[in-house]
Amino acid sequence: MSEKDIIICRCEEVTYSELKETARKFQCTPRELKLRTRAGMGYCGGRTCRNAVDSIALESTERNESQISLKYQPPIRPVSFGKLGEVIE
Amino acid sequence: MENKTIIIGAGPAGLTAAITIASRGHSVVVIDEYMKPGGRLLGQLYEEPNGNWWNGIVESDKLHQQAKKLGVDIKLHTPVSNIEVQDGIWSVHTDVEIHETTHLLLATGAAENPLPIKGWTLPGVMSVGAAQVMTNVHRVKPGERGVIIGVNVLSSAIAMELKMADIDIACITLPVSNTVNEKFGQPLEVMNSLLHVSHMAPSAFIKMGSKLMKNDFFKQLGITFFPKNGVKMWDIPIMLRKAVTEIIGDGQVEGVKISTINPAGEVIPGTEEIIGADFVCIAGGLYPLAELAAVAGCPFYHIEELGGYVPLHNERMESTLPGLYVAGNITGIEGAKVAMCQGQTAGLSIANNLENGILEKELVSSIQHTEHTRENAYIQFHPEIAHGKDKLKLYWDEYNAAVTK
Amino acid sequence: MSQRIINHPVLGKLDESQTITFTFNDVEYSALQNESIAAALLANGIRTLRHHEESGSPRGIYCNIGHCFECRVTVDGVQGERACLTPLTQGMKVVSGGKLQTDVRDWRANHGK
Ligand code: FES
Ligand code: FES
Repeated sequence: MSEKDIIICRCEEVTYSELKETARKFQCTPRELKLRTRAGMGYCGGRTCRNAVDSIALESTERNESQISLKYQPPIRPVSFGKLGEVIE
Repeated sequence: MENKTIIIGAGPAGLTAAITIASRGHSVVVIDEYMKPGGRLLGQLYEEPNGNWWNGIVESDKLHQQAKKLGVDIKLHTPVSNIEVQDGIWSVHTDVEIHETTHLLLATGAAENPLPIKGWTLPGVMSVGAAQVMTNVHRVKPGERGVIIGVNVLSSAIAMELKMADIDIACITLPVSNTVNEKFGQPLEVMNSLLHVSHMAPSAFIKMGSKLMKNDFFKQLGITFFPKNGVKMWDIPIMLRKAVTEIIGDGQVEGVKISTINPAGEVIPGTEEIIGADFVCIAGGLYPLAELAAVAGCPFYHIEELGGYVPLHNERMESTLPGLYVAGNITGIEGAKVAMCQGQTAGLSIANNLENGILEKELVSSIQHTEHTRENAYIQFHPEIAHGKDKLKLYWDEYNAAVTK
Repeated sequence: MSQRIINHPVLGKLDESQTITFTFNDVEYSALQNESIAAALLANGIRTLRHHEESGSPRGIYCNIGHCFECRVTVDGVQGERACLTPLTQGMKVVSGGKLQTDVRDWRANHGK
């Protein structure tokens, strides 16, 4: 990563040029762009960067108006193993 | 098993819903991950046109006390990680236990949109909402001198709040335009959106704007002649012809690099200067925080006027999934007063379903009350909000027609 | 050094009567009872709460309401607690996270379904 590049995904430190590059190369949907770059797959679950990542992907693909563009998966908050253990035991 | 209605989110919508349901004699539990009840309402502080102060801390406290008196169980500092439904029973997973209910209300509010800029991960860069909460709720200055990036209703309101706490705001200005920051970095676009808040005077800037900006030609003129050093609002320079290209500092914020831009948002070479600051606020606006509705499987629609993707729902705040309701900013970005109305409607909807439909009349009047409140809102986040709601109604009818076929 | 807003024209005077002490990276600081860890540290002039696990770049609060997870610290031995929404109590031990020796990206492998 070039030092002067803009970070888009703060959690995974994925940069603007990395995302632009990938989006151009693969004509990605938002979901695909996320899978290819890990942007949006960090600790915050994409809560901070999701719309920014979307807007880069949407330069080359159409927005799907009637479906959430990036799929959410539980848990939407990180659950520590200690705590998971308590529930299971 | 006692069937407690579960509400996720202790903001204005969630608490009002809780009060509504509890005052019908039903038991309610409200879950929120924050340490205080009130949600985004907590930070709000502004003077209304009639001279009254809207104090979010006082308003939150009123709701909290009322809910407590009615026996509402409020669980704070409790994040929800997942919700699931089986045979009409919703289970809500928190860190420590799993709660079950037949009626679940999602009132999870909104999150802030980012405006990524070089250097925005430095300590001292925060969302404008973060600065608001630090100042008004925690009573700690986010810093001595700040730069606010992003000119919009939210950022100008919060700038004034920071000013009230004696925090120096060097300027409110634009982010450099790129694919992500797009509209936020183009003076014309920004001017356009500001025209819709002309009723938010006292602001020489906006008054000037609304008079001058009658048509596109004048808009262009206004931007071209917009003084390079900005105009002042509450003594804070608003600079629509400048953009921050980088936030700088060694280990934490020390300032920003700022350049003059043309009306399309392009940087004019050779105009760069540095403004010193120890904190920077990013103001990219709000979007509905709906991840739990997505996890549950609600259909979503992207409606610009509502601030992004919203889970499909009707005027009674029912989602398409039995037993799942939504209220507040998860349904579209609006002020706290509208959120409270929606909370009441959702609460009545739930009570009505628990009581075999005897609250129809109250429900209808609550829906009307919401519309009335929306029309008279002092702060409007999107000028076409009502239009957005109409779109949603169409989607709802379409969806249900398709399902019943 | 205090950055607290003691007097406010609308919100009134700050209640500073209940103070406690806590430690951050083994240094003792004072704070107001029940305020968030992030607020107390900022009032003590501390902005950097952790360093990014891979690049080591310094991070502080970003959203201040629990959304971004930038402020995560270890509190009394529990990792990944958000400093912006964890109230302080007397004697709390807060430790910041640092750059890790190994690539931690795989933590997600345990979450994916
Ligand atoms: S900022 Fe991208 S996942 Fe958190
Ligand atoms: S600052 Fe965002 S979670 Fe704490």
